Amino acid sequence: MPTPAERTLAFEPRMSAFVCNWCTYTGADLAGTSRLQMAPNVRIIRLPCTGRIDPLFVIKAFERGADGVIVSGCHPADCHYTSGNYHARRRFAVFKELVEFVGVAPERLTFSWVSASEGQKWRDVVNDATARVRRLGPFDAYRALAGRRG
Amino acid sequence: MNAKTITIANLTALVDDLVASGTCVTAPARAAGGKVDYRPITSFPEAAFNTELPRRSLKEFFLPPTEPLFSWRLGGPGIRISEVTTSFAPHVILGARPCDAAAVEILDRVMGWDYRDELWFGRREATTILSVACPGVDGSCFCTATGRGPESSRGSDVMLTPLGDVFLADVVTPKGETFVGENAKRFDDARGAAVTDGASRTSNAAAVGQPKLPLPEVQRWLAHGFDHELWSTIALACHGCGACASVCPTCHCFDIVDEPEGVLSGTRRRNWDTCQAARFTVHASGHNPRADQAARLRQRVMHKFWIYPSRFGEVLCTGCGRCARACSAGVDLPEVLRTITALAAPGGPEEAAV
Amino acid sequence: MTQLQELARTLLSEAAVGVVIGWEEGPRGARPAFVTDPARADRLIFDRRCTANLATYLSPRRTHLAPLGKAAVVVKGCDARAVAGLIRETQIRREDVVLIGVRCGGVLADPASTAPLTADTVADRCPGCQAREPGLADHVVGDLPPAPPGEATRDALIARLDASSPSERWAFWMREFSRCVRCNACREVCPMCFCERCVADKTQPQWLESSPHPRGNLAWHLTRALHQAGRCADCGECARACPAGIPLGLLNRKIAQIVAERFDYRTGDDPSVPAPIGTYSLSDRQEFIL
Repeated sequence: MPTPAERTLAFEPRMSAFVCNWCTYTGADLAGTSRLQMAPNVRIIRLPCTGRIDPLFVIKAFERGADGVIVSGCHPADCHYTSGNYHARRRFAVFKELVEFVGVAPERLTFSWVSASEGQKWRDVVNDATARVRRLGPFDAYRALAGRRG
Repeated sequence: MNAKTITIANLTALVDDLVASGTCVTAPARAAGGKVDYRPITSFPEAAFNTELPRRSLKEFFLPPTEPLFSWRLGGPGIRISEVTTSFAPHVILGARPCDAAAVEILDRVMGWDYRDELWFGRREATTILSVACPGVDGSCFCTATGRGPESSRGSDVMLTPLGDVFLADVVTPKGETFVGENAKRFDDARGAAVTDGASRTSNAAAVGQPKLPLPEVQRWLAHGFDHELWSTIALACHGCGACASVCPTCHCFDIVDEPEGVLSGTRRRNWDTCQAARFTVHASGHNPRADQAARLRQRVMHKFWIYPSRFGEVLCTGCGRCARACSAGVDLPEVLRTITALAAPGGPEEAAV
Repeated sequence: MTQLQELARTLLSEAAVGVVIGWEEGPRGARPAFVTDPARADRLIFDRRCTANLATYLSPRRTHLAPLGKAAVVVKGCDARAVAGLIRETQIRREDVVLIGVRCGGVLADPASTAPLTADTVADRCPGCQAREPGLADHVVGDLPPAPPGEATRDALIARLDASSPSERWAFWMREFSRCVRCNACREVCPMCFCERCVADKTQPQWLESSPHPRGNLAWHLTRALHQAGRCADCGECARACPAGIPLGLLNRKIAQIVAERFDYRTGDDPSVPAPIGTYSLSDRQEFIL
C-alpha cells in the first residue's frame, strides 16, 4: 500500500463498487468492524442483488470518472433471491468480453463473490483491484471522449 | 462572373498554401474502408473529385451532429455560464458537389428566419466553398427537377469545371472574389471560347438522364393531399430509421438536451434529430399527433415540397438522391414524386398505382 | 408464375392472409413489397438481391401494417431466425403469421447491385450458412441453389482485433463510432429491437446520452450489442442500414461467438429453445470472477 506521502503525489484511482446487500456489503461491513486496513479508494454502491446490476451502471461509472469498477455478490447457491447471481454471472460474462473487445483494459473491471463472512477477502479484492488500476493509470481515454466532438 | 483557370499543379500548390497557413481544407476523400466522405485533407492528391457521392452532405460543417450551446457550473455565489464561441477558424471546402453547395444556401433561409443562428452563420462566414461541376452519380439523381443542376453554382463561392488537366474557375460571390484575389498567383485568366463551350458540354450531359418532375404541381397537390391513401401505401416499408434525414443535405431538425457531467456541471447541446423518429412529436402527456409511419413519412415529403417552399420560396431538396440510396427498405423519393406527379396530372388516376 | 407467386396468389384469393410481405423490383433493385391484391402477386420475386430481412415488419410496433390483416412473410433461413425470436419472446404468435420459406444460396451485400454473386459481392453473413432451407416455415418454395461463395471474413477480422492490443482495439472502435450520428437506423430496422420504449429514449433518469459524441455513441453501441446477446438473428440489416458504414456486424458477431463458446448457444429458428440471457446454468463458467 502506498505511504501517505506517496498518496499525495501519485495518481490514486477512483474506484466504484456495485455490491449486493446480503453478502458483499455485509462482508465489507465486517472488514470495517474488524478494523482491517485497506485502500480507501473504493466508493460502494449497495444494491439488493447482483442480478439488479445493469451493465449500464458500470458504463455510467466510467463515464463519470471511475478509473476502475468492482462488481461483487453472493457465491453461487447463496443468493438471497435464489438465482440473481446466476443471471448476473451470465450477463457479466458477456459484458466483460464485450468491453475488452472494444478496447477497455481488462484490469479495470473486477468481479468477485464475497460472502458476508469474508471480510478479509473483501479487503484483498479491494487492494488488488486498486493496485491493478493504479498501475494502469487514470482512465483518461474514457473521460476524453465527450470533448472530441464539439 | 469572371472566368479564371487553375492547373492541377497550381491547385495542389493552393491546397499546400492553405494548409500551411492553418486553414482547414475539406474535400471528398476516401476513408478507411474505401468509402468517400467529406474529410479534412492535407494535400490535393488525397481528394477524390467526382467519384462516388460523399456519404454525407456538407451540412455537418455548419450544423454539427452535436454542438455545445453553453455549459454551466454551480459553485461559489451561483451558476457560471460559459458561452461558446461564434467565430470560427477559416475553412475551405474544395470539390463540393453542386447539390451539396446549393443545400447550404437553402438552409440559410430558415437559419436566418425568425432569429439569426449565430453558430450556423459564424461557420458560414468562416467557410469558402469551391464546387466542382458534376458528371452525375446514378439514376437516383434529380437535381435538375429541384431547379439546380450538375453545373449549378448556387451556394458556391467559386465553381470549378474540370477540362482535362485544367479547371475552369468561375467566381460566383464576393467571397469567391476575395479568395481568388488572395490566391491570385495560383489562378490564370481564362482564354478562349473553347474553354467555356467545353465546360457546358461536359456538364449538360449529366442532366440529360434525369426525371422531369414538375415540383410546382407536386406542391399544389400536396396542399390538398393530406388525407390521401398514398401515404399509408408508400410508408408500409418504411422503418422510420432516419437514415434518409441523416444523409440529407437539407434536413436540419435538431433536439436540444441538457447533459449533466456530474452533479455540478453540464453542457446544453443541440443534436441532429429526425421527424421520422416516433418520439419526434411525442407530447409530455404521451399523445403523439404523428402516431404512425404513414403520418411521419407524409410530414417529410410535405415539409420538403410544400411547407418550406410556401414559406421560403425554395423546395427543401436539391435532388442529390442520397435518401433513395441510403434507404434500406427501398422507399424512393423520386418515385414518390413521380407518383404524385401522376396523381396531380389532369385526369390522372384516383388511386396511387403502387 | 413462379411457385412463390402462385402460392401468394392462392393465399390472398382464399383470404387466408390479408397481405403477403415479400420482395419486388424497385427503382434501386429488390426491395420489400406488400401485396394485398391476388392479381398483383406477380410482383413478388426472389433472387440474390433479396437481402432485406422482412421479419421486422411483423413487430407489433408497426401499427400502420395492422390494418392489412394477417400476414404471410417470405423468409430466408436467416430471416426465419428473427421470426423465431419474435415468437420466442411472445411478440407474435406462431399461428398469427404464415411463413413462406425460400431456399437460398446467398444474397448480395447490396440489393441495388446487378453484379453476380461472388466472394466479393456476397453479404458477409452468407458464407458457411447452415440455414439455406428455412426450418421454420409453413411452405418452402424454390430450388436449392449452390452454397454461397466466399469465406467467413468477419471471423478473421474479429480474430485480428482480438490479437491486437486493447489500445489498438480502442482506436479502431473509436474511429468507427466517431461517424455515428445516432440516427438509430440500426435499432429501427432490427427485428429484435421491438421495445415500446427503448432504454436510450428514457430521460427520467437518463442512462444513455443521446448526443452523438464518442462517449454517448460508445454507451449506445455497447448497450445495443448487449441487449442483442443471444437474440441477434445475424440478418445483417443493422450494418446495411447504417448510413455511416459502421461495421455493426462485427460487434454482434463477436457477441454471438461469446454466447456460443460460453453457453453453447447459437441463435436458431426453433422458437421453443429458450434464449441464453434470461436463463442460466448452474455450471456456467466463472473463471473471470474472483
